[in-house]
Amino acid sequence: MKLMSNTYSTYTEFFDQKKDIRTLIFAGKGGLGKTTLSAATSIHFSNERITKTLVFSTDPQASLSDVFEKDVFGKGEIKLADNLYVTEIDADREIELYTQSVRQKIFDLYQLEEIPEEIEEYIESAKAEPAMHESATYDAMVSLVSRGDYKLYIFDMPPFGHGVRFVSTADVLDNWIHKITDMREKSEEYEEVAAKFTGKTKQDLAEDAIMGELTEIRDRLTFFSSMLKNEDQTGFFMILVPEKMAILDTERAITMFEQFGISISGIIVNQVYPPELLEDEDLSDFLKHKIEMQQTHLETIYKRFGDRVLAVIPMYDREPKGIELLSKVAKDLFMWEKPD
Amino acid sequence: MSEIGENTPNKEEEEPKGIRASVKRLVYGAAMHGMSRQALKSRMYFEHMFMLITLGDLMGIPILPPYYSLRILPYVVPQIKTWKRRMLKERDLTDAFY
Ligand SMILES: Nc1ncnc2c1ncn2[C@@H]1O[C@H](COP(=O)(O)OP(=O)(O)O)[C@@H](O)[C@H]1O
Ligand SMILES: [Mg+2]
Repeated sequence: MKLMSNTYSTYTEFFDQKKDIRTLIFAGKGGLGKTTLSAATSIHFSNERITKTLVFSTDPQASLSDVFEKDVFGKGEIKLADNLYVTEIDADREIELYTQSVRQKIFDLYQLEEIPEEIEEYIESAKAEPAMHESATYDAMVSLVSRGDYKLYIFDMPPFGHGVRFVSTADVLDNWIHKITDMREKSEEYEEVAAKFTGKTKQDLAEDAIMGELTEIRDRLTFFSSMLKNEDQTGFFMILVPEKMAILDTERAITMFEQFGISISGIIVNQVYPPELLEDEDLSDFLKHKIEMQQTHLETIYKRFGDRVLAVIPMYDREPKGIELLSKVAKDLFMWEKPD
Repeated sequence: MSEIGENTPNKEEEEPKGIRASVKRLVYGAAMHGMSRQALKSRMYFEHMFMLITLGDLMGIPILPPYYSLRILPYVVPQIKTWKRRMLKERDLTDAFY
């Protein structure tokens, strides 16, 4: 595993250097703190840096509503404070609307009374695909970012989303489009002159329409993939807790991302019990052991990920929820100093 | 549409693997090696190609995520019914694409 050396060593330094940053992505397993840290970061940017920020949850387990203590699920882009907007899409509903529009298109194209059975079957089986949710949310991400209403987009990703697969899908599809385009051009050369005078056949038109769709799909996938790969405009953070499994998972994820040409910007270690607690004589054996284990794992983390660790966030005595507590998390995130 | 290459009655049931394999050969072969003039003229190629891009996931050749396949689906509705049968009939044509 190769980590590129960088010139920033804290979360704050990262943002001080990356002036063109446009998108932040938080990845990692569930329950480690992606939503909490996305929310805290959005508060910092909207408040301290007066940046119009949208924080978007792509996690089907709707959670921004929970941390902000306000129901925003499926309600569009909601303003929470000056420069702070949040959105949590209802993927089920989006998929329902989307498949409905596919049906409508079929009705319109063929003037049918009802959708043929095998087509309906196909739509239903596609709908049931687990990848459907993911695609719908990534597609929504692309729409939001390309509309460009905000200066900063913060994406709270589903646990190790397979979204990176989109990156390779974009390339595969791009290849197919090139091949098809190429062949269509060649085939036109061969076509009889007479056919040219009759204009485009029905089949030609259908092909054109398909090519149009394929090209647009390719562009959307490419948008997503170049967004992930753009190190000046995109920050890609992994959240980690000092536990053995989490460390292994993170290493594996970093390797996988790198295979897709995506390098992570940094790691944030969350839920670390303050070692000072060890001085407390009333500390339970359980916690004492836990803290000691965490410190060992923290050393491993520094050894393995070195200068990629951009912040270490303590375990708070209660769940950080609501703007006030999240502001405290933001402070800990942005004021963190690297130990020697 | 799970019936493509699967759950199909009588004769078609015998060689689902063969059909899949020949579709794969057909499309990849054509894409890799280019096509003969005849094949280009038949334009059958595009139909196969588009069907494959749309429904490839059902045949174990996923090209598009199903979310995006749905965008192509409306354009291939008329072909879907006949496609399977034609694939079988024209299996021998595969060679023409090399
Ligand atoms: N540093 C922390 N101290 C205490 N509780 C935390 C901390 N970070 C996260 N939590 C809590 O842990 C749970 C999981 O966090 P969350 O941000 O929802 O994780 P994810 O989005 O990665 O699943 C939540 O209940 C959250 O309030
Ligand atoms: Mg979450």
